Order: sequence, then C-alpha cells, then structure tokens
Amino acid sequence: MTLGESCLPAPPTRHAPPAALLRAQGLHKRFGGVEAVRDISLAVWAGQVLAIIGPNGAGKSTLLNLLSGLYQPDAGEMSFDGVKLVGLPAHKRARLGLARTFQKIRLFRGVSVLDNVIAAFHTRHDIPPWQYVVHAAAFERDRARCREEALRLLAFVGLEQRADLLAASLAYGEQRMLELARALAASPRLLMVDEPAAGLNGAEVERLIDRIRLLQQREMTIIVVEHNMDLVMEIADRVLVMDYGQHLFAGTPGEVQANPAVISAYLGA
Amino acid sequence: MRRWGWFAIAVVAIAVLPLVLQDSYWRTNLIVCALNVILAVSLDFVLGYAGQLNLGHAAFYGIGAYASTLLVMGLGVPFWAAFVLGAMLSGIVGMALAIFAARLRGHYLAIASLGFAVIVHQVLLNWISLTQGPLGIYAIKPPPAIALPGLPVVAFGEPANMFYLVAGFALLFYLLLDQLVRSPIGATLAAIREDEVSAASFGIHCTAWKVFAFGLASALAGAAGGFYASFVGTLVPDAFTITESFTVLAMVIVGGMGTLIGPVWGAILLTVLPELFRGFGDFRLVLYGATLTLVVLFMPGGIAQAARILRRRVGSFLEPAQAGFGQ
Repeated sequence: MTLGESCLPAPPTRHAPPAALLRAQGLHKRFGGVEAVRDISLAVWAGQVLAIIGPNGAGKSTLLNLLSGLYQPDAGEMSFDGVKLVGLPAHKRARLGLARTFQKIRLFRGVSVLDNVIAAFHTRHDIPPWQYVVHAAAFERDRARCREEALRLLAFVGLEQRADLLAASLAYGEQRMLELARALAASPRLLMVDEPAAGLNGAEVERLIDRIRLLQQREMTIIVVEHNMDLVMEIADRVLVMDYGQHLFAGTPGEVQANPAVISAYLGA
Repeated sequence: MRRWGWFAIAVVAIAVLPLVLQDSYWRTNLIVCALNVILAVSLDFVLGYAGQLNLGHAAFYGIGAYASTLLVMGLGVPFWAAFVLGAMLSGIVGMALAIFAARLRGHYLAIASLGFAVIVHQVLLNWISLTQGPLGIYAIKPPPAIALPGLPVVAFGEPANMFYLVAGFALLFYLLLDQLVRSPIGATLAAIREDEVSAASFGIHCTAWKVFAFGLASALAGAAGGFYASFVGTLVPDAFTITESFTVLAMVIVGGMGTLIGPVWGAILLTVLPELFRGFGDFRLVLYGATLTLVVLFMPGGIAQAARILRRRVGSFLEPAQAGFGQ
C-alpha cells in the first residue's frame, strides 16, 4: 500500500482473516517492586482496531512499550505475522511494519513539520548509496516522492498549511496530529497510538475519530490506548481492559460497557 | 543553482587569497584557516547535525597527525598512502569511541569524549619510544611535489601551494558533508539529535548512525592532522590538548551549529581575530574572550543566524532554502 492511497477512503470491505497479525502470550514486566504488566495476552487480527483501556497506572502504556520494543518483557512471548518479537529492538520492529505514537509527545522539535514526516520515511528510501553523495536522478525522484507523500499525509491530518513551521511551534493538538502523520509515514502494517486524544478539545477529538475511521476503512490494523471512552466506543472492534497491570476483561465495546467489574474499576467502587 | 554560484566564488577566493596576501605570515595563517575549517565542519557534523556533544575532536586531529607522520618517517610509507591510513585510523578510533559511548548523551558523552581526549594526549606525551613524547618529532617533510609533464613543478614547501592543497581538500570535505546533510541522512541525523526513542520507532538504528557520524568526522579531522604535520614540520603532543578541542567547539558555536557554512566563517574568524588583536599585546586574549562571550550572548545561533536575520531585514529574496531534504 502506498502512502497516498492510505489517505483516500476505500470501500469498507471488512472481514476477519484467519491468523492473528499480532499475538502476545503471558507478558510480564516489572520495574523494581512494581509489576507494571502481569500475565497479559492479546491477539490482533489484520484490519481490526483493538482498544486498551483502564484506570491510570493500569499498565497500558507499558504494554504498548513492550509491543513496540521500547521495553523488553521479563517473561512472555510476542509474534508479529509469525516473527518472534521478544529480544528485537525497536528499530528492527519498525522495519517489520510496527509504528507508534507516544503518550508524551516525542516530535523532532527542532526541525520543520515536513521534515518530521520525512525523517519517518527512513526505511523507505530508494536511493543507490553513491547518490547520497552525488545527487542524481534516483535521488531527485526519491526526494520528490517523499515530499509529495509527506504533504499528502500532512493534508490528511490537516497540517498542510503548517509544513514549513518548526514542529515545536505547533499547538498541542496539532502536535498530536503530526505524531499520527509521522507514524503513518512509516507505512505501518500495525499502528499503535498511545492516548491520541489526551489534551485535545472536543472538535479535535471529532477530527481524530474521523481520521482513525478513514484508516479503519483502509483496513489499517490499529491498537489504541485511550482514556476517552467516546473515542473507544466509536472505533474499537475489541476492547482489552486492564487494571493493576492485569487482564480485567476483554470483549466488544458493548460488552465492556455492560460489565460490572469494568464499571467498578473505573468508578473505584 | 545558487549553491554552485557560491561554490565558484569559494574557488575564486581560494585562488586569489594567496596572491593578495603576499607575506609568508599571512599565507601561513591562510593554511591554519583551511585546517580549522576542516576541523570545524567535521565537528559540526557530529555536534550540530547528529547532536552528539563531542569534546574530543582534537584527539582525532592528533591521531591523524601522528599516525601519518610515523608511517612516513618510521616505515617509509609514501605520503599520500600514510595520509589516507592516518585518516582511516582516526576514523576507526572515532567509531570505537562512538560504540563505547553509544548509551551516553549530552553531558555524559561530553565527559566521556573529554576523558578520551585526555587519554590520547597522555599517550602521545608518554609513549616516548613511539612519539618521542614532549621532545617532539622534527623535520617532517611537506607532501611530495607534484611534477606534471609540461607544467612547472608544484612544491608544497611553498605556503601558497600548501594553502591550495589544504583549502582544496577543505572545499571537497565541505561539499561531501553538505551533500550528505541534504540527503535523507540529514533527516536521519536530525531525528537522532532530537529524540532517539522516537527515531528508533521509525526503524533508525541510532547506534549505527552515531558510529557513522563519529567515524566520518574523526576521519576528516585525522586528514586535517596529516596536513598539519606536513605543513608545520614539527609535532608535539601539546598541539592536541583539550584546549584545541574547545577552540574548534568555539568556532562551531560562533559560526552557528547545525549549518555547515556557519562553522566555516567561525573557523576563519577565530583564526584571524587573535592575529588581528596582536597589536593589543596583553589585552589580546581579553578581547578574544570578550568577543566570544558577546557572540554567545547576543547571537546564540552564531554568524549563520545573524546572516539570516540580516537578510530578512534587508527583505531580500535571496533567503536560502533550509537544508532539509524536503525543500
């Protein structure tokens, strides 16, 4: 799938392929005396949206960091499209097709909005090595393609007017959208977004939901960690509920809303 | 292509300068300028682009100088082969330092690289059987003369010719780095500079790229060292103290980190300024220090930033595009 296509809506032909794209079994992660993630298992099928919810400190972000390779688990197995993930560093997982955004925004603040997206094309350049020094035809083609695709992605998240600004100068909500565009630039097979709606106002959340829906229609596989229940209920195919690092419940959004254990965990009752 | 216009101006300037500055004192300074330009742009590649606070650049300069000289004088290796080997050794040591310090950033890397520079200086000083320590190495020959049929012999004992040689390489190295930072490598290094965790999430192998940046910059500094030895004719370890590292750092900062043209002007300014201030006798270093402080206080982006602001004030359409790959 090229980047350009990812921006265009496609006919919603959604079906569940047989094998899970991502599978994790019995993940554990301990920080000192705290067991941040305890025996978590999950599976995500291609084209599905899995939401991970839970109260603050439930271990959701730690779980995402385990999946993306920022942390390695103390125990457990993970595989992506048949490739074992445990032990693989983050940059190698990225090459398999995993991309993510960060809860605490991690843009390349000192470079332009456009260059943020272009930096994310790292694994996708098509330039013979010598042309890095002597810029010839293939180099110029690659540059033009990157620029065009980057601008299209920026248009997708509504930032095309901001392309030449420094990333650090964007408003908070725009920075979150730029993180999304940047993650998409990696042309991921699995997109992991960590609290994309945190700090966004109502209109911005609406726009975010709308964008994620478009990605969903393109059969993008997505894991979303989120507090915003409206967003989760709108977009998730399945929901994993965590509490104190543990699996509390998994099911469809409807089942989650009706489950007494989930309600009590959220209301603290 | 405005860029190639500037390139032509640089070539003409290099060609004309030794003709304008006839006395050997200024011609010698020209060569020092060219050496410092190589050191400043190569340090900036690591510091301004890859964002690695390297305080050991003089050590690589020294390794290149000693290695190439010892190969020529001790083993009888031809100059140009020794020059390349010296630069390569310097590059390899730079890569080793980057691997060793892969997990270090910011102040921690600064201290590690500073420690490395002290070690190199101490080794040069105390490995007397190899380097002759503080006694120094004397009577180092200039690069071999070039005798092309039908043309007059070009001898590098003549400062003007030596300047053409060193400045030619400085220009070559500048173009090499400039092409690299305008390619996707520039975006990759910027990503590492700005946020390594984020960079890794896009498939960037941060350690490998830091090793690349350190290796290339160190090799270029080593090449400058090879020229230094054959130009000065003597080598003493004290030419490569950490003070030298800080001088090059000052050139990069005064010129403007993260631009390549800035450090060129920084290197020229900080080479020429102390010479111009010689007339002030004991106040010379005070003036030098004051100039540095004023620049850092009022032009934190260095000469490159000042030039940008000036150009914007003038309202010129000559505003150059940022060096980003996308532009």
